[in-house]
Amino acid sequence: MKAFRADPEIFRLTSRDRDRADLRIEGLTLRFGGVVAVHDVTLDVRTGEFLSVIGPNGAGKTSLLNCVTGYYRPQEGIISFNGKNVTRHPPHELVRVGIGRTFQNIELFPGLSVLSNLLLARHIHYGYNFLSAAFFLPSVRREEVRHRRIVEEIIDFLEMQSIRHRLVGSLPYGLRKRVELGRALALEPKLLILDEPFAGMNLEEKEDMVRFLRELHGVWKRTIVLVEHDMSIVMSLSERIAVLNFGEKLAEGTPAEIQGNPEVTRAYLGPAEEA
Amino acid sequence: MGRLFHRESRTNEETASFLRNCTLPQILLKQAEALGRGGPPAIREKAWGVWQAVDWKSYRDYVEKVALGLKSLGFRRKDTAGLIVDNGPEWLFSELAVQALGGVTVNLFTSAVATELSQTLQRIQASHVFVQDQEQVDKLLEVRDRIPLVQKVIYVDPTGMDGYRDDPWLISFRDLLFLGEQYGESHPGVFEKEVMRGRQDDIAVMMLTSGTTGLSKLAMLSHGNFVHMGLQWLDTLPPSENIDWVSLSPPAWIVDQMWGLGVSLVGGFTMNFPETAETIPEDLREIGPSVMITSSRFWEDLASRIRVRMADAGWLKKKAFHWAERTGRRVEKVRMEEGRVPRSWSLPLFLADKTVFRPLLDRVGCSRIQSAYTGGHPISPDVIFFFRAMGLNLKQCYGLTESGGIFQAQPDHSPKLDTVGLSLPGSEVMISEDSEVLVKSETVFKGYLRDYQATEEAFSNGWLRTGDAGVLNEDGHLVIIGRKAEVIRDKAGNVFSPDFIETRLKFSPYIQEAVIFGEGRPYLTAFINIDMGNVGNWAEDRMIPYTTYTDLSQQEEVETLILGEVRRVNRELPGPMKIRKLVLLYKLLDADDEELTRTGKVRRRFVYGLYVDIIEAMYAGKREIAVKGKVRYRDGRTGVIETTVRIHDVEE
Repeated sequence: MKAFRADPEIFRLTSRDRDRADLRIEGLTLRFGGVVAVHDVTLDVRTGEFLSVIGPNGAGKTSLLNCVTGYYRPQEGIISFNGKNVTRHPPHELVRVGIGRTFQNIELFPGLSVLSNLLLARHIHYGYNFLSAAFFLPSVRREEVRHRRIVEEIIDFLEMQSIRHRLVGSLPYGLRKRVELGRALALEPKLLILDEPFAGMNLEEKEDMVRFLRELHGVWKRTIVLVEHDMSIVMSLSERIAVLNFGEKLAEGTPAEIQGNPEVTRAYLGPAEEA
Repeated sequence: MGRLFHRESRTNEETASFLRNCTLPQILLKQAEALGRGGPPAIREKAWGVWQAVDWKSYRDYVEKVALGLKSLGFRRKDTAGLIVDNGPEWLFSELAVQALGGVTVNLFTSAVATELSQTLQRIQASHVFVQDQEQVDKLLEVRDRIPLVQKVIYVDPTGMDGYRDDPWLISFRDLLFLGEQYGESHPGVFEKEVMRGRQDDIAVMMLTSGTTGLSKLAMLSHGNFVHMGLQWLDTLPPSENIDWVSLSPPAWIVDQMWGLGVSLVGGFTMNFPETAETIPEDLREIGPSVMITSSRFWEDLASRIRVRMADAGWLKKKAFHWAERTGRRVEKVRMEEGRVPRSWSLPLFLADKTVFRPLLDRVGCSRIQSAYTGGHPISPDVIFFFRAMGLNLKQCYGLTESGGIFQAQPDHSPKLDTVGLSLPGSEVMISEDSEVLVKSETVFKGYLRDYQATEEAFSNGWLRTGDAGVLNEDGHLVIIGRKAEVIRDKAGNVFSPDFIETRLKFSPYIQEAVIFGEGRPYLTAFINIDMGNVGNWAEDRMIPYTTYTDLSQQEEVETLILGEVRRVNRELPGPMKIRKLVLLYKLLDADDEELTRTGKVRRRFVYGLYVDIIEAMYAGKREIAVKGKVRYRDGRTGVIETTVRIHDVEE
């Protein structure tokens, strides 16, 4: 019943400790041969925060995210999550400690249904072994039901009921982006990293996505890091913004501070005499 | 424990007479006692991917909690509550809870704009309002100062409502249930006491009637109206233990009110609610209802969806479908004319059914349907025939808000495609001297809210005036001609509805537009516009050369084709409504020439004035007439068509 939508299990706050998501990046540097993609970046993300990372094209935003999620291995610096050093850990281990992400270019299984894509993400939470699964023990059954329920809560939350059984490959782009968010949520991450979730969306799809993110952060108290180009969205959603330029952190502060920062304006528009 | 209402048992009459004195919440209490937690559920709703069931005992408990919650919020007997909700269990809980407290419910459309909502809520002096979600809350907040009587707004869906927590005007449905639970613990027995105070003559629901002119009226329906509607339907439907109803039309319409509060409550049947509007086809298939009452639009959409799918299918499927359809149509035709199917047809029909019809109906969730009804706007007999040929028992029905819902339906044994059938047992229909359909039944409403004059006008000697013109055919089946205000009289005083006849003509694939004349004339005549695409294809298949529309419409073969189509329609029309003469117009009626409105409706008077010469020629008995017609080209230039128009007699 719609009246009972209020309290999805997946978002239930069991304890502050369980949802702790303190990310610390210290002196991070990433080079590709002679090219310095990220240079000596230090950044903190605190539990319950909505932080956006912005910057012109090629500023190193995605590179920074890829270091945090284990896709790139930085040469220098330390990344720690909830006090634990996770620098250069592979992606699947980072998912286990609670860092989930979406990709700029959608990375889903196009030949599987929406439901299967989301259920697949639950894999890290499966507790049963091969043998008990083979006999389909009552405990396995219970667990399967629970995972399906959690995935269904995400489907309900993201309003994907009518596409539940559709193949992801047959969906329009905007909806696929939504499925991506759903899959990241299915991991039950403590820290949710979103790489340009609004890119290529039309206005209506953007509005829906803003609604979902606002609810995720405001009501369900998720910790979110967003990389995004659309300034109006960034300004309206973020609590704090970090600006990157040529791989370096240029500024950090509230949306109001960032908007008033002359260096940021220069980075985006070029030096005043050139403009 | 068992069913309250066994239609086969001897206690039937006893139960019925008992129910005839109950209010709806009283029946709910009885059903909860009789059916308890076993048997088919009272309500199913698909949520989180699974059908969630609510048994009768839980149904009652929910209603109790909502009612007591309302009571603790200050709802008193005779108060009115507004509902701006979607189809869902909360809708039924709220409605019965309000009625349990002796209150009246009014359902408003969720699509209504804020000012519309405030007007209606103010008119009904609603003290409490149930709304679906944030969207509706926002609308009410916008007009808050204009609805000072509303004490509390209860929202069903909490999504997005986090930012509204501090507003004491709002409360979630969940919190209301909680309030009710607490109130119940400190006040045991209050709910039952309140329910027992209800009288059957009390008003239960007020329905907004579609006001075509000015402010819509509020029709007051009593508990008794719904109970009787339920009983009448139970007598009509094929007997079965449980009937699954899939709730599709909005609660602000009479059909789902009639079923949700009347039939399902009295019969102890299951109400099913789809997950979302987009998942209806899927959800429908999962439930596989045995009875459906929907708008004609539903069936027309379904028919065209099937046709489009078949057009894209592989050749084998296509061939099989066409063969089966032909077989089905032939059999159905014979069945309708002779009442039975010749034995020689039983094998092909069996094959068609097994290979095509069953699988197809299963795909669209209609394989278990015993009776499907269509109401509202006129439906093409061809669409009905299409489904009937597939073995789906689709029939027309008729009713209105003021009559408490559907009171006229085609019987199973002798359906007539173009009628709305016979009255339900307990309802009586009569045609007044001026051709208006009148109805008398226990289900007929109690009057319009604070509108004595309109209420007076709605009745004539105790009969409800439907406002529709109709005739009873030789079998006693009702044929609806059209809105009484829109019908026209011929010279002899016979009424006819141009729209009624034109709609029928336009069901032919070869006729694009038709205009009927005959006001104050001895007989009816028609202008016909052929359908260029379909007639063109037809002509090409027969190697008939043609150039323009004008040329095609004057081909002798085409004239014969159209005359045949008109004759076919004529056969189904009562005597005075038959078309006697017609002209195939040399040009298409066009909005650019102001002959049609921009929405594609014929501007009858204008067309009459423009072509008065041709019309006079038809009534003067001429064979043909030379005309000079003006045409406007797309680029704005005008030209003249000089041609001779032939006048055709439509002999039998």
